[in-house]
Amino acid sequence: MPSPDFLALVVTLKMATVTTVILLLIGTPLAWYLAKMTSRFKVIIEAIVALPLVLPPTVLGFYLLIAFSPQHLPGQIWQQVTGQQLAFSFSAIVIGSVLYSLPFVVQPLQKAFEQLGDSLLEAGAMLGAGPFDRFFTIVLPLTKASFITAASLGFAHTVGEFGVILMIGGNIPGETRVLSITLFDHVEAFDYAKAHILAISLLIGSMILLACVYLLNLPRNKTDKLS
Amino acid sequence: MTTLRLDFNLNYKAFNFTINQTIDLTGITGVFGHSGSGKSTLLRAIAGLEKKLTGSIVLNDKALLNTSQKLYEKPEQRGISLVFQDSRLFPHLTVRDNLKYAAKRCINSKLNPTDILKLTELEHLADANVDELSSGQKQRVALARALLTEPKLLLLDEPLSALDQASKNKLLSLIVKIQQQLNLPILYVSHSLDELQQVCDNMLILSQGNVINYGNIHHTIHQLNFYSDHLPSEGLIHQQTSLSLPIASKDNGQGLMVLALAEQEIFLPSLPNQLFKNEQLRCFILASDISICLSEPQNSSIVNHLSGSISAIESRTVDANSNSVLVTVICSEQEFFVHISTFSQQKLALYINQPVHLQFKAGAVRTYLY
Amino acid sequence: MQLSKLSSLIIFCSLLYMSASFASQNNNPLRIAVAANFTPVLKALLVEFHQKTNIETQIISGATGALFLQIKHGAPFDILISADSVRPKRLEQQGLIVNDSRKTYALGQLALFSMEHKTQLTDLEKPSKHFAIANPDIAPYGKAAKQTLQHLGLWHQYKKNLITGINVNQTFAQIRSRAVSSGIIANSQLVINKLAGVVIPTSYHQPIEQQLVIIKNQGNYDFAKQLSDYLLSPKVQQKIVNFGYANHELTESIAKPLTQQGISHAKP
Repeated sequence: MPSPDFLALVVTLKMATVTTVILLLIGTPLAWYLAKMTSRFKVIIEAIVALPLVLPPTVLGFYLLIAFSPQHLPGQIWQQVTGQQLAFSFSAIVIGSVLYSLPFVVQPLQKAFEQLGDSLLEAGAMLGAGPFDRFFTIVLPLTKASFITAASLGFAHTVGEFGVILMIGGNIPGETRVLSITLFDHVEAFDYAKAHILAISLLIGSMILLACVYLLNLPRNKTDKLS
Repeated sequence: MTTLRLDFNLNYKAFNFTINQTIDLTGITGVFGHSGSGKSTLLRAIAGLEKKLTGSIVLNDKALLNTSQKLYEKPEQRGISLVFQDSRLFPHLTVRDNLKYAAKRCINSKLNPTDILKLTELEHLADANVDELSSGQKQRVALARALLTEPKLLLLDEPLSALDQASKNKLLSLIVKIQQQLNLPILYVSHSLDELQQVCDNMLILSQGNVINYGNIHHTIHQLNFYSDHLPSEGLIHQQTSLSLPIASKDNGQGLMVLALAEQEIFLPSLPNQLFKNEQLRCFILASDISICLSEPQNSSIVNHLSGSISAIESRTVDANSNSVLVTVICSEQEFFVHISTFSQQKLALYINQPVHLQFKAGAVRTYLY
Repeated sequence: MQLSKLSSLIIFCSLLYMSASFASQNNNPLRIAVAANFTPVLKALLVEFHQKTNIETQIISGATGALFLQIKHGAPFDILISADSVRPKRLEQQGLIVNDSRKTYALGQLALFSMEHKTQLTDLEKPSKHFAIANPDIAPYGKAAKQTLQHLGLWHQYKKNLITGINVNQTFAQIRSRAVSSGIIANSQLVINKLAGVVIPTSYHQPIEQQLVIIKNQGNYDFAKQLSDYLLSPKVQQKIVNFGYANHELTESIAKPLTQQGISHAKP
């Protein structure tokens, strides 16, 4: 039986990784669509994507809890399709995290796509490259830094998430109890020694992650300045 | 022969582009017009990069666009390549990888990047980062890259506009060389008549979204002499005589090259490049550089003397107070255009069919290509 | 290069997934939702409970309000050990609990506490600049603290100087960190942390009834009932009192409507 803190670490990493992968899969086309969109509805979609930045996490969590509960339609549909209850499951905290961290992935990508513009894509088309070909051979290598930034912000923000997960996760060990909640529990239980150790490891881990990301971004920024 | 049938229109807020024109794509076809005339729009439409047009585009009996049949061939499937004004090289790839990018996507490729690097004189830059290149080198890479897609039609959108004169000459020669070696139809857009005069076989002239002339390069340039006043010229159009003449002698022993105009001769300063006897040379003479004499000039330092007769005298149409006229003189069946003051016209009492002599300096015979 | 990165990411993900799902494969342990301020006590009590019954337990600690909301929306908890009686009553009204499972397992005991000086009840008469209590509108210990100050006729003096925490744990943390010089907290917090304060007579406020309920349809009813019985057994009840909670029998005899006598007792 692994220690509860280790279990929380595993759940946290698993949640953040799955969330980041989903965020990149959803966020990339969304950011692309927003970057290319010219209609007036663009601002509305942008506002919706940015909403988790203003909405307090517990408020978002409260409404998600209601939506995910078996009494309401989204929760019912999920239960019918998967045969399992959505609220208080690992899937629930992943969905919550995806919504909550969405702007952190979409916004840097959208900015990068807007900055890249159409000119190199048109050049690619003129050389016989189709849309997906152009995305993987032109867009991806040229916006790599933004993808790394988006992924790491999404990951880090998900690791540090508390309010939404506390609400919809139910703090179940091995399933929805993540590091931030464990830390909070330690504080609540006056177990300050464990809390300090966890806080410091979370801090150092995040520092290392973010530092790695900025290090990875460094050389490319230099060439950007040269060109 | 490659033919391109264009029949479409395109509406932007303040701009309406309408075209109904069949173009025979032999050699290089120039597209000339002032900025905002729709030149680039035309190329982008043919390439498939303009989405909001209605009508049809047919290349060699294959429809690329037919909006009434909801047919739209994607740009990457048209077999057309476009070289942009701003090169648009991929900054994350080396020169060689930029070329490979095109070669890899070309089905049944006959050309290979190494040969094209050689043809475009880029071998020494193959492994360079594109950031390190000059604008001239960048355009050569862009051209090489477009060639490796082995297009049925190559579109060039102001390829020289960002270059200095030396790079321009080099790239122009290269374009001619490529056209001849690969027998590739090219549509060449430029706002510089000089560039087009040097390389094009035919020319399409656009003004405010409409075709106003299409035909043989010399013929269309000569027609511009008459209606250039109607075009917002922005100083782009100089009245001139545009010529393609065979070389009679590369050097007459005194530093002059001799061109044959039937039995008459035209002298110009010898050119350093490798040229062959009887090869056609493109050149032009500005109308303001030629003068008219009623008697054959003797003892003049001016080397070129041609005899002919006046076929037309035209005063400038726009400016009623203009004090100059454009005189057309036929010498050995070739039209020459001469710009003289009304004062001279009256002094010489010029009239139609009058036999006259033209004179101009060797240096007035201009050629950019070599 | 990108492909290899992607594939290593996928491998990493699946490893994580496997390890986490492996780790979470317990045979339906008893899931106990417990109010944060009772968690340390419960943990201590569960050691003996596990030895006796061999029942595996999982503690889900949280604010009573949040736990209530989650149970309402289907949280898979077997038993709720609440910090109040309001939420258990409401769950009972909504038919979400096993009939007759609502039981008072502890009575809250207030204490006056300061990190800065030795406290005595008379300190209450000289209000300091800031004074900490839990939010009287949402936290049971806050409500009792307010009643205490009202009982002593001091509420109006204190009203403007109050720092209110969302729950009594936050209030305790505020005083313990010396952010606020003194305040009213739960006596059990002092006992667990081996700190000294002054116990406030339970007659100054209505009893802080802490109740537990067994949630319906969770499949672990037997275990939940065993835990409930265990917590309510006289031996364990005495242990709970030793952790700083009020004495049942004593309170029941004293708990009467607030009297004038209380004030004179506090005023020397």
